[in-house]
Parts: sequence; structure tokens; C-alpha cells
Amino acid sequence: MKIGIPRAFLYYKYHVLWETFFEELGIEYIVSPQTNKKMIAEGSVYSIDEACLPHKIFLGHVDYLIDKCDYIFVPRIATLGGTKDIVCSRFQAIYDIVRNTFRDRNIKILYYSIDILNKDTEFKAFLKMGKFLGKNKAQIIKAYYIAKQAEKTNKLLDLKEQEKNLESKKLKILVVAHPYNIYDAYIGKPIIKTLKEFDCIPILACCTDTKKAIQEAKIISHTLPWTFNKELVGAIGLYKDQVDGIILVSAFPCGPDALVNEMILRRLKDKPMITLILDGQEGTAGMETRIESFIDIIRIKEEKEHEKQM
Amino acid sequence: MKKAYLGVDIGSISTKGIIIDENHHILASEYLWTEGNPMDAVKRLIHQLRNQLDNKKYKIVGVGTTGSARKLIGVILGANVVKNEITAHAIGTLSLYPDVRTIFEIGGQDSKIIIIEDGIVVDYAMNTLCAAGTGSFLSSQSRRLGLEVEDFGPLALKSKNPTNIAARCTVFAESDLVHKAQMGHKKEDIVAGLCKAVVTNYLNNVGKGKKIYSPIVFQGGVSKNIGVIKAFEEATGEKIIVDENSHLMGALGVAILSQTDQKEVDFNFDIEEIEFKTKGVECKRCANNCEIICVYKDGKLIDSWGNKCDRGAIKVRKEEKSR
Repeated sequence: MKIGIPRAFLYYKYHVLWETFFEELGIEYIVSPQTNKKMIAEGSVYSIDEACLPHKIFLGHVDYLIDKCDYIFVPRIATLGGTKDIVCSRFQAIYDIVRNTFRDRNIKILYYSIDILNKDTEFKAFLKMGKFLGKNKAQIIKAYYIAKQAEKTNKLLDLKEQEKNLESKKLKILVVAHPYNIYDAYIGKPIIKTLKEFDCIPILACCTDTKKAIQEAKIISHTLPWTFNKELVGAIGLYKDQVDGIILVSAFPCGPDALVNEMILRRLKDKPMITLILDGQEGTAGMETRIESFIDIIRIKEEKEHEKQM
Repeated sequence: MKKAYLGVDIGSISTKGIIIDENHHILASEYLWTEGNPMDAVKRLIHQLRNQLDNKKYKIVGVGTTGSARKLIGVILGANVVKNEITAHAIGTLSLYPDVRTIFEIGGQDSKIIIIEDGIVVDYAMNTLCAAGTGSFLSSQSRRLGLEVEDFGPLALKSKNPTNIAARCTVFAESDLVHKAQMGHKKEDIVAGLCKAVVTNYLNNVGKGKKIYSPIVFQGGVSKNIGVIKAFEEATGEKIIVDENSHLMGALGVAILSQTDQKEVDFNFDIEEIEFKTKGVECKRCANNCEIICVYKDGKLIDSWGNKCDRGAIKVRKEEKSR
């Protein structure tokens, strides 16, 4: 049996957990390659036109994997804890959307479903998935804990790397974006590349201590419902004093981001900020102009302040 | 020989060029249409500037480019400074109006607002990738109404009762405009309504949440439209300054930047006789099929860009070898 994992959406958040879990259970898997133009085009054909760009990308990856594996891995997340917290409906719906969109192509889906409010925890979900894969309880529990440990170690390494970056003397720019946007080779990577070309250190908001960030988010807004956005908002609170500017990245037309980014722009006044909206454009000139001018202004401002102090 | 500096601002609609001396006095300037061919436009521009400049007295030692074709033209002119429009406009305007607090800029495709405090840019905003309410919108609407863009402003001033036009989105504005015209609204009222729509759209989108302090300087191609100036004055209740050279601010800014740059370049006006060519090559190394632009000077590859990854870069190098 071969599992196909789409390199999109939650992959960037959970890939260590998933990959280690399958490896520990001795299950073969493949991951779709980096997003490319063809995948976006295919994904757009399969999506309704109101769907967001990463959603289209996800379907593009599923399309790529069909016929290359036995099961396509599409987990579902409804709630992730907290009594009022929700995740974007895309993550609740994606399993059903994939099943129905590719109905005619004999698609078989491997899934797990997390809904903390209904007591469906990650542990329970993985246990169920493991049983479906024909493994016994002891094997599954062992694999799950090893995978959790691997996930934790990986996160710590990422955080350490980020800590090191934060000590840099170069201009540091906090990039506030969902992992599935900023790590995506086609839509997000060019932003990181451009920042580096302008001799800046990108600091990623999605790379943060989740618990601390969620706690911190309450200071900025105590009614914010989206778990993933909470993490990002909290990360701004944690990192903002250590960076020179903030770039808010959102994929068109992301509902949660549209509301949350606007709130951030209104409530945080002490740091230079810009918003970049990704829409799968081919040209990067618009993005480059915006980033270049943003960096220029921060540099000119800091130079002048430096002169004043002299 | 005295030193002089060339600044070129090459936008989607128009191409602006300026030559200044060391004290920022304008020695030559030119404004012409890009007509979708930046390379040809820049050659015509250089030709005009050459005729205006006293070649025996001045030598160009700095070249700066800005605007959406800045990269391409920067390579062709061998520029020592290639800068984005925001920085260029702010520096150009500040050299003439050191007290300016707010810069409105509406160009062919972009619109921006720049907020300045004590001579430093502290905040700015640019339109998102949508070109609603920019110059290209006004020019396409004027064509629809059978008018020259130049006549647009004076006609708008004649209106006593501007027609309300939905300003949020160009597509809606356009259908609204057709509808109003069919309903029998007077042309001057529609034109005045369009000017108002541009201003409303600008202040609500680009200027959203920004505190606007005077002095306000308005520039970019649309600042030549007296109808829009008047609509801005009505909306803000402030005097709007439009410099006679308002269209040249970007070029001026980048010329000044080329002066502050340590490097000096050896610029030659004969550039108009050199053959430049660009070629779009589709990289077939992965499914992205990046279109790579190669720039050739007299048949020799001088630069290339457009590749998303290094695989594309290798392809360009190979092509150079085969030549």
C-alpha cells in the first residue's frame, strides 16, 4: 500500500508528524513535488472560483497524486481546542471536497479527523487511522509517540535557527503568513528570496512557540476565533520588538486573513507594516516593487535616526 | 566639463527623462509616451535629451532609472542606480518642497500615497495589484466617451452637477458610466463624476487610515488633469500643490540618487544607435515554464531575468555560449 501526501495546506505544519508516523508503521508514502504552474492551473479547474489560492493548489496536488498511489492522505480538522476557537472552514471541508471533486476518478482517501470540541483528539484520530491501516494498538501508540517526539524536536531546531536569525545585525523583517503560503515554492518562496536579495533576514511568524503565541494573542484580541491566525497574531506580539518591519502576507481571497490583517494594521502602530496579497500572478515585479520600497523606507528612517543620535 | 546626472522614469504609459547639474538644476527634460515599447521610448527620449543638452559643457556621470521598466532600461543605459518609484518620487519631491507632508501620486497603473515627517518618509501605501482609479482607467474611459485625455480636465470644470459614479471597482464604474450615459446625463457631468470617482476611490483605498496633512503635493500623469485636482481640493479641503514639473519628480529623484551614489558611470549618448533586443525564452526544465527575458546589446547577451529558480539561469548561460 502506498500513501500519497499532497504538499499543500496542513502538510507544512504537520509533515514531520505524518512522515514519521507512516515510517514507524512501515507504510510507504510519496509526497507530491513542489507546487508549479501546471498544478495551480489544474487545481483552478477543479475548484470553484471563490476558493482561495492555497485551496486551488491543494486540489492541484491531489490531481497530481491520483494514479501514483493507492490512497491520498487528506486529514480534516474541525476544531483544535479552546471553547470558542475554530479553524477556517476549508480545513473542515477539504476531505468532502476532495472526495466529491474527484468522485469519477476512483479516488481512495486516507484521513483522520480532529474535532476537540467533540472530544476527537489527535491521539484518538491517529489510533483510528492506524487501525484502518491494519496495525495493532501497541504499534500505533508507539509510532504516534515517536512521531510526536520527532515533531517536537524539529520544532525546537526551527526555533533555535530563528533565535540565531534574530541576533543578526542585518535588517530583520517579520513575515506574517500561514505556513502553506510562505513555504510554498510557487507563491511564498519568492517573497523570502526577494527579502534575502535586499540583504534582509526574514523572520517567520509561523515559526513560534505555539502555546506562548496563543497566550500572547489574547493581549491583542480576546475574541479572535481562528486558531491558526491566533498563532500568527501572537507571534507578532512575541517578535515585534526584535524586528525592523512587518510584512503581512495573505492569499486571495482568504476570509480570516482579510479580517485579522486589517485588525493588526489598526492596532499595531509602532512598526512599519505592509500587506502583500498573493493571487498566483506570474510576474513578481509588483511584489518586488512593494518589498523594495518598504525596505528602502525602513533603511532611510533608521539612518536618519542614527544621524540624530550622533 | 561640468558633471551632469540623467534620471529616467519609465512607466506603463509615459516615459520621463531629466538631466540635472550638480545643484539639481534642470538642464534638459522630456516627456513622451511609452507606447508599450520601453526600449524604443528610451531611445527617442535620449535623442531628445541630447538635443537639449549643451554637450560641450556637460558630461553625464550618473544614470538612474525608476518606474515599472526600470530594470530593463537600467541595463540598457548602464545605470548606476535602479530604484523603485516610491523612493524616487519622495526624494524628487523633497528636493523641491522640503516641507511637504503628503504626496499623492496617480500614475498609469499605480497609485500611491507617501506620508512625510521632517523630511523622512514615515509611511506609504500603494494600490493593491488592481489598477482601479488610475490613469489607464481614465484614458480608457475617455476613449469610450470619444474624448482626448487632455480635454478631460477642462471639460470636467464646466460641470455644475457631477454624476455619481460607483468608484469601488473599475469594472463596476465602467458599466455604471455606460448606464448613466444612456440615461442622458451630460458628458461634462459624467466626466466630472469620473474625476470625483477617481479621488473617492483613491482616498478610500490607497489613502485609507492615513492622516493627511498639508502641504499636499499631487503628481504622476493624472496630476495634469485639472478636474481631478479640483476634486481632490473639494474632498480634502486643502490646497493641492501641483508642480509644473510634477510629471518629472520620479526622474528627478532618481537623478539625485545617481549623484549620491559613489560610483560614476561613463554614459554615452550614442546609445540610440546601438541595437538592443529582448527575447522571451520559455524554460522547459520544469512545469513552471518560466518566461525568461534575455537582453541583447548588438547581438550579445548582457542580462536576463524572469526565472524562478537556478535551472532557468543555467539555460541563459548556455544560450550565450552557443552564440
